[in-house]
Amino acid sequence: MIVAHLSHQELMHRLARPGLRLRTGPVVNRIQSRLAKVVHGVELHYADCTIEDSEGFADFHVRVAPPRSPRRWIAPQVQFQFDGAGPFLPLPASQAFAMLEWGLNWCVSSHCHQYLIVHAASVERSGFALLLPGHPGSGKSTLCAGLVSRGWRLLSDELTLLDLATGHVVPLPRPVSLKNASIDVIRRFSPGMEVGPPVHDTVKGSVAHMRPPTDSVRRATEAARPRWIVLPRYEAGAAASLTPLSRARAFMHLADHAFNYDVHGRQGFELLAQVIDSSDCFEFHYGALEHAVAVFDDIARRA
Amino acid sequence: MSSPSALRWRSVPPDAIVWREWDGEFVVRNERSGSTHQLAPLAGSVLQVLLEAGGALSVADIAARLGDHLAAAPEPDQYAAIDAVLSEFKRLGLVEPEAQ
Repeated sequence: MIVAHLSHQELMHRLARPGLRLRTGPVVNRIQSRLAKVVHGVELHYADCTIEDSEGFADFHVRVAPPRSPRRWIAPQVQFQFDGAGPFLPLPASQAFAMLEWGLNWCVSSHCHQYLIVHAASVERSGFALLLPGHPGSGKSTLCAGLVSRGWRLLSDELTLLDLATGHVVPLPRPVSLKNASIDVIRRFSPGMEVGPPVHDTVKGSVAHMRPPTDSVRRATEAARPRWIVLPRYEAGAAASLTPLSRARAFMHLADHAFNYDVHGRQGFELLAQVIDSSDCFEFHYGALEHAVAVFDDIARRA
Repeated sequence: MSSPSALRWRSVPPDAIVWREWDGEFVVRNERSGSTHQLAPLAGSVLQVLLEAGGALSVADIAARLGDHLAAAPEPDQYAAIDAVLSEFKRLGLVEPEAQ
């Protein structure tokens, strides 16, 4: 069963109690919330995701709920809870769904050490993965959303999971997080993609999420071999330009952007070296998505 | 022109280092510190020489052996460059001076 098979009422009841066991890639999250923003967010963005047996195992038990504080009567807030504890400060109630997303990211990046986890978007074409590691603001999510809307398969927007045995990317297709001007950029570029309502004044500015394509969610068990490592950088007005990047620099970039490189020691080093061995590495500047997508379609054709 | 230091250097044991080379650039992981570093071509070649030597080498020894690793023949000014590389390696825990 997938989320879309539930009526709004059924989803609301399941999220309220006993919790929705939602599969995202290799992870099962037990999500509890009575908040309308969370219900709507899950209904829109996770519509294609599998609901696991209510008695089955869940990797993460999370809850988004108002904190017990008199403040809730003045300026309502929400708190992300993990195993009953609140690892983060509360946020305004309007940010409830974004907080669930950030919390689920934290669950994976802090606990899933069966993978080497790189802070990177990743997409796939013809079995090959394109990794886009980058700092916030580099334009990686915008580029990821643009590519996904033009036929590339979404592997992950934020957390690229590398299988320790094979070095392949294990998909974690969850909503793509768009910030500030990128929200309207993607709405104009990809009118067929579903983008949720933006929330404003978050620590990242205005944030909205793009629903992962159905095909990407359905193919979440299909890993992909890394083929390209690309460091994106958005610059308003810049022409699309793909410049070779030395493999040593690309290695250091991946290591710097890995959440748990140190956890894996020598195995982490060997795994990243394997990823670099199999990949062409580039820096990429772009100012217009249309041109950017054309560049990557071209390198995919030549692969 | 600088004259080479008489100090002799050895790398940490080979099993304490894992490294890779791509197109003349090196990445090395120091198993003792857990740190990973990118090395420029000269630094990478110096480390290779020390690992292959299996014993302590002076700056002049290293410069002589670099002929196998670098296209250009060793020049006196390389002594200073190699000295600087060894100082940095010492700071990173990749080499140690031989006890006098």
